Amino acid sequence: MRLAFFFALCACGGEPATPTPIKFLHTFNPSETELFNKTIADRGWIVDASLVPFARGHQVITEILRAGKACPDLIRIDATWLPGLVAAKLLVPPPEELARAPWTAISRELASLGGTMWAVPQTIDGLVVVRQASTAAPKSERIADLVAAATASQLAHPLGVRVDGYWLVPWLRAEGVELAPPAITSDGAVRGLASFAALFGTLAAAPPSAGSEAPDELRRWNTHELAYWVTGPWQLGDLRDRDQIEVSALEHAPRGGQLLVVPACAAQPAAGWKLAKELTSEQVSLIFSDAFATIPTLAIAQEHATPLVQRTLGALVHSELLPRTPVTPLLFDDLNPAVAAVVAGDATAEEAIAGVRRGWHRLEREK
Amino acid sequence: MKGSLRWQVVLVLSLAAVVPTVVVGALAISRARHDVENEVKRGALAHIRALGAALDGTLQDARRTVELAASQWADAAGEVHGTQLLVRRLRRDVPIVQQLSILDPDGALVFGDPVPKGVDIGSHSFGGYIGDAVFGGATPAVHLVVQARGRTGELMGVFVATLDLAFVHDIIAAARLGPGARVLVVDGRGVPVATSDPFPIAAKAHDPVVDRALASTVEGTMSVGGWVSAYRNLSSYQSLRGVRWAIIHQQPEDEAYALARRTTRDTLVIGAAALAIALALGVFASRRLTRPLADLARRADAIAAGNTIEGPPIDGPGEIGVLAQSVDEMAKRIAERAELSAALARGDRLASVGVMSAQVAHEINNPLTTVLGYAKLLLEDKPEGHPDRAALELIADEAERMKKIIGTLLEYARAPRQSEPVIAGGVLGRADPAVVTRHVGALVAPQLKKARVAFVSDVAATTPAVAIEAHALQQVLVNLVQNAAQAMTDGGTITIAARPAPGGVATQLTVTDDGPGIPAADRGRVFDPFFTTKAPGAGTGLGLAVCKHLVTTAGGSIEVGDAGSGPNGRGAQFRIVLPNVT
Repeated sequence: MRLAFFFALCACGGEPATPTPIKFLHTFNPSETELFNKTIADRGWIVDASLVPFARGHQVITEILRAGKACPDLIRIDATWLPGLVAAKLLVPPPEELARAPWTAISRELASLGGTMWAVPQTIDGLVVVRQASTAAPKSERIADLVAAATASQLAHPLGVRVDGYWLVPWLRAEGVELAPPAITSDGAVRGLASFAALFGTLAAAPPSAGSEAPDELRRWNTHELAYWVTGPWQLGDLRDRDQIEVSALEHAPRGGQLLVVPACAAQPAAGWKLAKELTSEQVSLIFSDAFATIPTLAIAQEHATPLVQRTLGALVHSELLPRTPVTPLLFDDLNPAVAAVVAGDATAEEAIAGVRRGWHRLEREK
Repeated sequence: MKGSLRWQVVLVLSLAAVVPTVVVGALAISRARHDVENEVKRGALAHIRALGAALDGTLQDARRTVELAASQWADAAGEVHGTQLLVRRLRRDVPIVQQLSILDPDGALVFGDPVPKGVDIGSHSFGGYIGDAVFGGATPAVHLVVQARGRTGELMGVFVATLDLAFVHDIIAAARLGPGARVLVVDGRGVPVATSDPFPIAAKAHDPVVDRALASTVEGTMSVGGWVSAYRNLSSYQSLRGVRWAIIHQQPEDEAYALARRTTRDTLVIGAAALAIALALGVFASRRLTRPLADLARRADAIAAGNTIEGPPIDGPGEIGVLAQSVDEMAKRIAERAELSAALARGDRLASVGVMSAQVAHEINNPLTTVLGYAKLLLEDKPEGHPDRAALELIADEAERMKKIIGTLLEYARAPRQSEPVIAGGVLGRADPAVVTRHVGALVAPQLKKARVAFVSDVAATTPAVAIEAHALQQVLVNLVQNAAQAMTDGGTITIAARPAPGGVATQLTVTDDGPGIPAADRGRVFDPFFTTKAPGAGTGLGLAVCKHLVTTAGGSIEVGDAGSGPNGRGAQFRIVLPNVT
């Protein structure tokens, strides 16, 4: 009897149960991570957040979800990773409430596959052309006009582009080649890569060492060595005098974004979606947008974003999504070294494209 | 109560010393602690930055060398002899390579050791990475996966190298650490890879420092569990999930903040010493300040009690000295006022006595006249030799003496005051000192002869007449000569001198004897009525009082002093100054 009374006392007097933290796997950069931690803490959320480097995010997240161990409740992924995760049946779709939220059309498109929303869109990104307001705009969105405008500039290397397969996409598309294994066999791919590589050393400066592209571009922009800079929203947040920046579209530029997904193995899917709703809310998305010039996905948030963000969004409306296939993110593993080899003069465009073609065929085989 | 001021001063001085000492001491301690903490953390961070750079550098060198070898292998299209040479050179240049496997793009082993267990090979893992530590061998190791891409960027194969991490332990074991400090390297899972401790430590589950270090984006510090910890990410090492390894520097707070503790102790000791000195100085200063105040208080009590002030003037610093001087001055004035008040009171009392004496004398005079008259009548009736005649003569003599006393009393009572100058017939009195002196000599000659006293008149020929009635001046001089003669029991000389006083408006007369003189203590009172040094019945004590009244009534002054001519070198001298007749 005494023992029962003791247990009753223990049960009644025990401390309240500690809420289980929401496990969140994200790809924020260090600055974004700091703001995320502060914003979440200020709002009373208990989140166990882990950072996954973006470059290895696709591989790491896929492995984690396949293993099913230490499964997160919410993950921030690149939009190109969505088809592979959906195809592997590693995700669950968002609840109706979130699916019916007033996302803009391109946001909803980003998070959907086959007409079904599989994610909550968090930000929109892609390539645009950035210039100072005092710099003349290219005549049109076409690559030829961008090159003509850069050629007319008095600067030594007025064009900012990166030695990266993602930047090659508009040049490939201008030659009628899409970023897909079958298309790379065409001669257009060779022409696109050759014309892209030809920019370096003439209109574009010789590339810096690998890994230092972003700070080098930022330095050149801030020292006014660049007249036209092909880049994305991820770098606009670091720029000074944002009011003096003009943004224009680039024909065939890739468009993408960041999504919030809940894995099928999540222990707390409802909590995951709840956090996703919070992170994409007007208030929180504008906190990030104001700080890093990221583009929100809710219509109301886009209306209240800064002029620079709205101009960037206006330019991205004309861009095109990358192919929604599981292998798309893997294509860059072969495309990037090929672009670097041609720009460095180690290989001709034909040789490089041939190597890419073999690598992509291997991917096709494995698939 | 008298001590309270001192202790209040001590209290104030103590507070004035304690408060700044405590505040400054607390600030110094706090500042020292803060600075030392910052320095300790900065030092620890700097240390692990250097160690981390060494670790990163070693691994980066190995990684780049393997990447370069992979690139060379890819360009050589997998030629067997070239591959053997390449691998031999790689092992020589990168001694930390334990195992090396070369795979083709499909994952098939082309050359080298079998792929270690646990290494995930596939197109999805060809990004190239360094994973978490593995502990299969004698020392921890890590797998490095490097893509072998050819000149055109095409993937030709994959190099899987197993790197011996013993160098991690060697580097941190060679680090010169502070007392009690240790360095720990953990992989992305929080598993310890190496430690500077001679006895390897096992990472605790959910160690807050390890968790914080792995969650950190760069570096940081924290204090928990009595340890000061600094942590930093190792940029070249990361787990498959991308969690960077961390290097952690830990030191017990007692050791890390020993300098702050010593500074605190020294500050407390110095502060206590300064406090003690301040208190001692406070006590000294308070005594210096309050001692004159206490003396002043005692002097004020004495003044209040009506006692005379004794002792030297009170010396005190600053305003206290001024106050002491003021109190002394005040005491002096109070004494003067008291003396004045006493004199006034005595004067009033004497005036009252005089009036009463005059009334009594007036009432006694008539019956005494009757007694004297009848005594003389009876004497006339008694022949010589009658038995009653002697008694009657005694009655008559005594009655005569009594009338004489009463007459003197009545004369003193009738003497006009200073405010009422004597005017005879509307004209001030006039006396020739030479004439009056001759008359006095004649009057007292029998008495002086009997007392064996010589009389000398020394009146200058130029002595003018003085403004006093002649009989009054005669009475004054007779009185003074008789007093002198009575005092000169062994005989001597009495001299009356007169000289014009300096300025020509007054004349000084002196009556000098060479008798025993008048004691200094009595000189202030000899002019008081009824004061006498004669034997009872020998004097009334009114003679000199009458003299003074007569002289002062005439506008003159009289005083007594030493003659310096007596047997003992003394003698008495009365000096009279009277205005000249104008």
